[in-house]
Amino acid sequence: MIKVKNVTKKYGNFYAVRNINFEVNDGEIVGFLGRNGAGKSTTMNMITGFIEPTEGEIIVNGYNIDEKPKKVKAQIGYMPEGTPLYYDLTVKEFISYMAELKMVPRKKRKDAVKKAIESTGLEKVQNNLTKNLSRGYKQRVSLAGAIVGDPDILILDEPTVGLDPKQVIEIRELIKSFRKNHTVLISSHILSEVSQLCEKVIIIDKGEIIAVDTPEKLENETKETNRIRVTVDDLDDKFLNIKDEIADISNIKLIKENEEDKSKEYIVETTNKNDIRKQIFSTCAKNNITILEMSIEENSLENAFIKLVEDRPEYSQKEINKMQYEKEIEELREEDRINKEEKEKRKQAIKEEKARKKANKKSKKEKSSKEEEEN
Amino acid sequence: MLAVIKKELKSYLLSPIGYVFAGLFLLIFSIFFYVTLFASKSIKFEYLFYNGATVLTFITPVLTMRMFSEERKNGTEQLLLTSPRSITSIVLGKFFAAGIIMIFTEAFTLIYFGILKYFGNPSLLVALNTLFGFLLLSLAYISFGMFASSITENQIVASVLTIGVFLAMWFLPYMSNIFSIFSLIDKFEKYPEGLISIPEIVTFVSFSVLFILLTIIVLQRRKSIK
Repeated sequence: MIKVKNVTKKYGNFYAVRNINFEVNDGEIVGFLGRNGAGKSTTMNMITGFIEPTEGEIIVNGYNIDEKPKKVKAQIGYMPEGTPLYYDLTVKEFISYMAELKMVPRKKRKDAVKKAIESTGLEKVQNNLTKNLSRGYKQRVSLAGAIVGDPDILILDEPTVGLDPKQVIEIRELIKSFRKNHTVLISSHILSEVSQLCEKVIIIDKGEIIAVDTPEKLENETKETNRIRVTVDDLDDKFLNIKDEIADISNIKLIKENEEDKSKEYIVETTNKNDIRKQIFSTCAKNNITILEMSIEENSLENAFIKLVEDRPEYSQKEINKMQYEKEIEELREEDRINKEEKEKRKQAIKEEKARKKANKKSKKEKSSKEEEEN
Repeated sequence: MLAVIKKELKSYLLSPIGYVFAGLFLLIFSIFFYVTLFASKSIKFEYLFYNGATVLTFITPVLTMRMFSEERKNGTEQLLLTSPRSITSIVLGKFFAAGIIMIFTEAFTLIYFGILKYFGNPSLLVALNTLFGFLLLSLAYISFGMFASSITENQIVASVLTIGVFLAMWFLPYMSNIFSIFSLIDKFEKYPEGLISIPEIVTFVSFSVLFILLTIIVLQRRKSIK
């Protein structure tokens, strides 16, 4: 399990990641989405212990990375962005070195290396120098380096970038096979891939987490209108008129005309999220339009992502700095106000103390003068 | 640490670096052997190292310039620093691997001792003492070269910095005696005379330890500012 609590990473005045919080549960495959420079790699680098957060804490399988970095790192298999490899080593030597670095026990090392080579399909090239491999194979070698020794947690930064379609499918299948036995955090630009692979999606933008949910929920929540694909047998073009009869329709577009059976395919766009298929059905029946096919077009994760990211206000770094500056000024003012209040209280207390002493002195004086008079 | 030593040795021996270093070292030593001993008909093996110490100034960067700068440039630094190995063991692994290459290269100079032995009776004890001092000096130089490599990702900058500092350490005492404490070559000169001097050993060892520690600090520090 990975817990990221209030983590911030600052470079001077620039916030690479600002106060992020999320959890990745055991056995989950979680997708980490964001535009370039959103803070994905920074977050992954912090979880793997490559860089330290400026604030906040990261807990991996119960261990705080600040306190027990060795224990945390031993449980993580990391595939960094850009597939860094040692080019003077062969594939097998590289994976063996990774196993040694990860402290895989000597007795198990040979089997662990063999298993990693087999599961990434590197048997044929295991004795080749890594520098002579194609991009796809380099990617696989990097993945093999991450999975060797069977770590509990896998952190994969853009694992399918630069692969051909066949390799992409193979790597996806491999990642799917990690489900249940491993906790996987994947960053990717390919949203369809994340949608297929991941149970949960974390969307990060400008260093802030803007959504954490299942792909389905994100797709539904960001859906504002419905698009219904309808194929009809409509020689008289009466279908376009149903717009006048159903108030929720905002637009009807003709997509395709089938030459063979003269059927027409339309996209019906609605003004809201209501499912108007029943209304379309009854209206078409009333107008003698035969419906051959009708389905709601699903909102893609891509649309959800664009919606979430675009809905955020565009702040320039200068504005962010200004806001931060104003926040800090406000905090200082608050601190100053509290200090002044305390000072005032202390002054008041001193005054009261002085008055009390004065009163005591006066009463003593009166008492002694009274006694003198009596004497 | 052993994993890093093994990998580094493999890298030195599978790439031209190890051979270029040993080849250059032995080539220059052979020239010195001819000029200082053979031509002047001397059998003082240790004399070879008075000049030999200056060779280190120029060829140590061959061994050290890539140590961390290459890892940083290629991104493999990520693989090292996200592994459960400590930064100390990684730094020591790299230092000892370079040290082992240095020891083997220096051991080859005993061939010259063998040649001299054929012609006369050079002192083995003085020769071994000289080699011991030369090794301490080499390790001190490696530690600085490694430090220079840890502060930049450009290998040329690392090597120029290393040579520059070694040259400064060599020539500054000529400007003023105050700088003589920085001259490691001056300190080495006692060894060919057959002397084992504790202050010199302490200087070499503490210089090495200082720059190993500084390398560890640089890598540790970069984690928080990276």
